[in-house]
Amino acid sequence: MRNLIQKNPNIIFSLLLIILGSYALFNFHNHMDIYEVGILCGSVIGFSWLGSFWPTFKKFFIAILLLTAASIFLYQGSLQIAEQNFFLKYFISSQSSVMWMSALFPLALIIYWIHIFSQGVFYGQLASRLSWIATAMGMAGLLIRWYESYLISPDIGYIPVSNLYEVFILFCLITALIYLYYEEKMNTKKLGGFVLIIINVAVAFLLWYHFAKDASEIKPLVPALQSYWMKIHVPANFIGYGAFAMAAMISVAYLLVDNGKFVKLLPDKTLLDDLTYKSISVGFIFFTIATILGAVWAAEAWGGYWSWDPKETWALIVWLNYAAWLHLRLIKGLRGSVLAWWSVVGLIITTFCFIGVNLFLSGLHSYGEL
Amino acid sequence: MMTFAQLLGSMRFAISMLAFVGIASIIGTILKQNEPYESYIIKFGQFWFNHFEILNLYNVYQAIWFIAILLFLIASTSYCIYQNTPGFIRDIKDFNVTIQEKSLQSMKYSYHVQLSQDNFNLEEQRLKKLGFKVRCNKKTDAMILSAKKGHFQKLGYFFTHLAIIVISVGGLMDANIWFIAQERLGIKNIESRDLPLSQIPQSSKLDEKNAAFRANVLLTEGEIQDVAILPLRDGYLVQDLPFRIALKDFNIKHYSTGQPKSFESDVIIVDKKTGQQSEHNLSVNKPLTVNGITIYQSDFQDGGSTLDLKVWDLASQDNFYSMRSEVFKVNELAYQDQKFTLEFDDFRAFNVLELEDKGKKSNKNVGPSFVYKMRNASGQAVEYQNYQLPMKIDGYYYFMSGMRDSQQDEYKYLKIPADSDQSVEGFMIFKNLFYSKDEIKQSINTIVKTNQSDVFSDQALFKKSLDDIYKTFISKGYSGIAEIITQNIPEDQQTAVANTYIKIIFLMGANLINQYNLKFPDNPYFQFDNMNRFIQDALNSLSDRSFYGANIYLELSDFQQIQASGFQLTKAPGKPWVYLGSIFLVIGIFCMIYIQETRLWIIKKTNQRYGTIAFATNRDHIDYETFTKNTIKGLGYKTYEKFNSKKS
Repeated sequence: MRNLIQKNPNIIFSLLLIILGSYALFNFHNHMDIYEVGILCGSVIGFSWLGSFWPTFKKFFIAILLLTAASIFLYQGSLQIAEQNFFLKYFISSQSSVMWMSALFPLALIIYWIHIFSQGVFYGQLASRLSWIATAMGMAGLLIRWYESYLISPDIGYIPVSNLYEVFILFCLITALIYLYYEEKMNTKKLGGFVLIIINVAVAFLLWYHFAKDASEIKPLVPALQSYWMKIHVPANFIGYGAFAMAAMISVAYLLVDNGKFVKLLPDKTLLDDLTYKSISVGFIFFTIATILGAVWAAEAWGGYWSWDPKETWALIVWLNYAAWLHLRLIKGLRGSVLAWWSVVGLIITTFCFIGVNLFLSGLHSYGEL
Repeated sequence: MMTFAQLLGSMRFAISMLAFVGIASIIGTILKQNEPYESYIIKFGQFWFNHFEILNLYNVYQAIWFIAILLFLIASTSYCIYQNTPGFIRDIKDFNVTIQEKSLQSMKYSYHVQLSQDNFNLEEQRLKKLGFKVRCNKKTDAMILSAKKGHFQKLGYFFTHLAIIVISVGGLMDANIWFIAQERLGIKNIESRDLPLSQIPQSSKLDEKNAAFRANVLLTEGEIQDVAILPLRDGYLVQDLPFRIALKDFNIKHYSTGQPKSFESDVIIVDKKTGQQSEHNLSVNKPLTVNGITIYQSDFQDGGSTLDLKVWDLASQDNFYSMRSEVFKVNELAYQDQKFTLEFDDFRAFNVLELEDKGKKSNKNVGPSFVYKMRNASGQAVEYQNYQLPMKIDGYYYFMSGMRDSQQDEYKYLKIPADSDQSVEGFMIFKNLFYSKDEIKQSINTIVKTNQSDVFSDQALFKKSLDDIYKTFISKGYSGIAEIITQNIPEDQQTAVANTYIKIIFLMGANLINQYNLKFPDNPYFQFDNMNRFIQDALNSLSDRSFYGANIYLELSDFQQIQASGFQLTKAPGKPWVYLGSIFLVIGIFCMIYIQETRLWIIKKTNQRYGTIAFATNRDHIDYETFTKNTIKGLGYKTYEKFNSKKS
């Protein structure tokens, strides 16, 4: 058996996904429309594909699967149990799981910096592991929240990507995953000290939002959000936001090295430059797709694929910004500090689109309000 | 002087125009679009309002200059495609088999390799397996192999630029440029007066043939309509529809927590030409398409619900009288020689509020409410929102009535305590007793009898002062009492006196209820465990009349809800084009970013065992060198040596 798994990990992983997908399909097909069945099949294919070229993702996926399954098992169909059961209360209810994420990301950031200064391999590995665990806890937290929303009442249940609290968790997770992928691929753990800064800013906001505004309460979806489109539009958008955020943080590292700071401690400039480009490319593709999907959804829910709603307009501005960035790099062959500065400024524009619009401008996307 | 073609072809100009569109778009998000013009005048003042209006800043995205720039960008992008496509095609076809060895050796990725055979058959096979296209050329002194792959990357440019054109054209098809053109020519104009449909001039009507529009219809239950309203700038246009649409029923479903779960309309559509009738259900996220027009659930409001009201006078012992009204109707009211109008603005059957109970906040449906304005003869109005059912606050039930002087203010609430029958009746009985001369006389007498006070040796004087307290309280409430105390009593005794006065007022109320309970021991109103709390709350309510702005309290005894449903109707022939363009865009970006275009050449001079292999790409990423080395390995070359090793 062990031998079989070691020889064909991808096939086994895909089989596992197919079994899970089929289980969901047979048990819950009554609750799904044709598009949601499509999304389920797409997820099976998508995760198989991710696992096929990214071995650690397979482990990660199985870890969150086990965490979520354990939580569902402990809940036994009643929300009240969360207060009494030790494991639920302190580890794997969605609240505590997200709290673990919020505690581990700052810790990982500190250890990443110890790694940068000490150059010790041990610290790099420790920080990386902690980031993986934080991401797993956060992801499990979201999945458990999904389950909890159904426990409140079956007609309330929804995928937790509908309000600012939930998408901030999503932002942390996706940014971390994109980073961890490149950490593995580029074989350097030094950049965690930069990328995790932006993740921890999001964590800080999340904690403030949780404790000051009681934002973690699960509230039923408004009618405008009850659509299968939300399941793809929002995650696609956050892959975009996450990738742009990571690009900006790596650009910060680039600018430091470019100005002669930390030169010996950080990776080579060419690597940083290339990673910024890769990150922006991934972000750009997903942001494009997300905006298009958003337009298709808008056509269905609001009656027009483009209404010049502030969120839409700012998405266009973000898109134009990175389109110009890629244009200059790919067509004009521009490299170096100009593009690095640009990518940092890009994060400001992206952040405004992500949260500033909700804070300062009103419009159709008002469910993301503070 | 730049020619127009040069301007069209200038990337720099196109980029600046694009940046300009970006800035204009930002202005459009910061300056709230399509608000009533009055609110802009208030915000900016007449001077700036006029200037902004000339620039069309209240409707940026449909401004002529905005559309003109978009048109220019389409032209410029088309010109760019027109200019560059032949070159791209040539590039895709061309293998450049006549290249010189020297130019190969000067390339960044150029290697010296040992060749085993006299022909390139093996290399050709292996390269084809690696996905390359291969051409060979034999010259007198050398053999040249030219191979390339990933040339579809070039299609990326083509597709992305084509996408921008297709999307923009689709978008412009759906923008109301035809109307703007007709308006400029003086054929059509916006109607800004509030006219009944029959009086709207032909010049503000758009017929069925209008290719693209986005208009609204508001229907009350049972109403039928065959035109839609298209709001534009400070006015509107009337759009003729090819069908009649009637609202049969509008439904809001709720979650168990009370929040709305769905907005659904049952509509009947009658085709004007064929007379065919069909019934449909549509809701948010589930639109309906008829004759190329898509109908969306976009809004809802009250459609003129009937309200059965009891009018209570809080300042006399009069009993209520009944009144029947409707939302959007105005009723007249005479009160103590003054004339008022009651304007009913809204009715809601469900109200979800965040209420705190035992320290826990939760959302609850608190039942129906209605909103009305009470306007006096000089035109001043106070707005009220009354709830039909009592709400639980800090463990007890109250009938809430919010009041505010203007829409910007928060509501201030009058809290009338519910009686033990959960009705407002008990309080009203209490109020009647309080204003009844006989009852209050009896109550005061009881106080005088039971309190042989040291302060007032004279019983008549004591009684008089009780009468004074009573009179002050009914005219000015607790604040009136406070006023008297601060004016007449030395400061060090004020608190003690105030406490005594409050106690006296409380006793007056308590005695009234005792009197009532003795007369009607089985009444359902005053059977409390905590009677004192009710008396205090009831006295507070009487006292709060001073801020309430009126002596009239309207109790909602019954209602019949009539709802109105708002629809957006759109005809967007450009939509398929926008979607097609979007697909082009995604394909194009994928090609541009993820296809690596690479070329390679191998040159072998006749009678030599060594040759040169060189690679060229227009995307020199960090992994490209590894790629070149892997390719050389894949070709089976054993030893290779890099030219220009200093360069890399």
